[in-house]
Amino acid sequence: MGFQFDSAFFVYELIVAIKYIPVVLLLSVVPLAVGMILGSAIAVVRLFKVRGLAQFLAALVIFLRGVPLLLQLTILYLALHLGVDAVAPKYGLALSSKDISYTLVAVIGLSIHAAVYLSEVVRTALQSVPSGQYEAAYSVGMNSREMLYRIILPQALPVAIPLLGSNLIGLIKGSAIASLISVVEIVNATLFEANSNYKFLEAYLAAALIYWALCVLVERIVAVLEARVSVYGKGGVV
Amino acid sequence: MENIFSFSLFIDAFPKLLSRLDITLYIVLIALIFGLLIGSYIALVRLYKMPVLSQLATVYVSFIRGIPILVLLYIVYIGLPVLVEGLFHVNINRWDTLIFVLIAYIVNSSAFLSEIIRSAVAGVEVGQTEAAYAVGMTRWQAFRRIVFPQAIKIALPALGNNIVSLLKDTSLAYTLGVIDIIGVIKAISSNTYRSLEAYAAAAIIFFVLSLLLEQTFKRLEKRLGTKHVVSGQE
Repeated sequence: MGFQFDSAFFVYELIVAIKYIPVVLLLSVVPLAVGMILGSAIAVVRLFKVRGLAQFLAALVIFLRGVPLLLQLTILYLALHLGVDAVAPKYGLALSSKDISYTLVAVIGLSIHAAVYLSEVVRTALQSVPSGQYEAAYSVGMNSREMLYRIILPQALPVAIPLLGSNLIGLIKGSAIASLISVVEIVNATLFEANSNYKFLEAYLAAALIYWALCVLVERIVAVLEARVSVYGKGGVV
Repeated sequence: MENIFSFSLFIDAFPKLLSRLDITLYIVLIALIFGLLIGSYIALVRLYKMPVLSQLATVYVSFIRGIPILVLLYIVYIGLPVLVEGLFHVNINRWDTLIFVLIAYIVNSSAFLSEIIRSAVAGVEVGQTEAAYAVGMTRWQAFRRIVFPQAIKIALPALGNNIVSLLKDTSLAYTLGVIDIIGVIKAISSNTYRSLEAYAAAAIIFFVLSLLLEQTFKRLEKRLGTKHVVSGQE
């Protein structure tokens, strides 16, 4: 029995995958944004060594960095389900575990995952600016806001942007893991179509091609942004 | 609280999960060894800009790095038998699933490791190679004695990170039916009708393993770092 690659079905699956790109973006760009806000907060708490909180967050970051995303998502999903079913009847809430959206669980899980990694990105970027730069900005009479926008960010961004890009790519690829907790994204959508004819190879290849395209696109955008922000870092005389 | 999280089930899960630790470590080790071998070859092909091969390697690395490991696992699992059947007329459908999982992780890590090796070698100044040639070393001597020891130092932090993510990525091997640490959770949950405790135990195990790996690499970096400073002062 020879294998016949069904190119018509492959193209059909490509279109299905393209239709689900918004879901992948929801599962990657939203966690990136939420993660950036939470991650910056974590980084600032750790850089300013807020007593107690800094140590707690450091331990949390180290712990979550060591746990696979699959386990983070599964545990969050199970804990939310069991938790809601146990707590809701007690308070007479008309809420059951069936009402929890898989996609919402995935977005929350991926956001936590992103916050952990992005806090390290922000920390690295801020630490890459020598402390003399902060002192110099203050000594010429700038306030904190001016210092941040004129002195610190222009130097920290060239460090942060490539790292942000690779984190976004990690999130895009990580969003595929959400398929394992029943979120209908590219992988599950293409598989669903292949269920009737067992042409799973075409389905997976179509999904792979779209993921690849998305990642290459992000890489290109990052390269353009990098070229723009590193203008400040170039040497020469004024 | 008992019906949300049972502490005794959590403790009970550890010995069962740890009995399958060898499979997880085996996948990491095989993927690392073969990934380094193939990755080095890919890196050299691209560094020495071998015609055609270099372009193929670029596309291969970009594609593998651009797709989720979950998708790669299934493409290897379904696609490899088809490819082998078509090319050699050999039926490998009956091969053990673990072999397909190993191949998928080798493919994945070869792409990532080739990038690490490539950027590390590119990070060693050309002047070093030129100087080596100037004192009469051959190409191989220059690479082995001069470039490689410097490159390994540059590569070490990225290599450490990569091995940790490889370890975490093996958590997806269960999707093809391999009974590793995660795979065994299915068996536990069909006995106890609960899985949260076993998943939590697995999280702890992965955390400890990642931490051990990270610490080992930190020490290694320190040792190589200090060694370098000392030899520089001689």
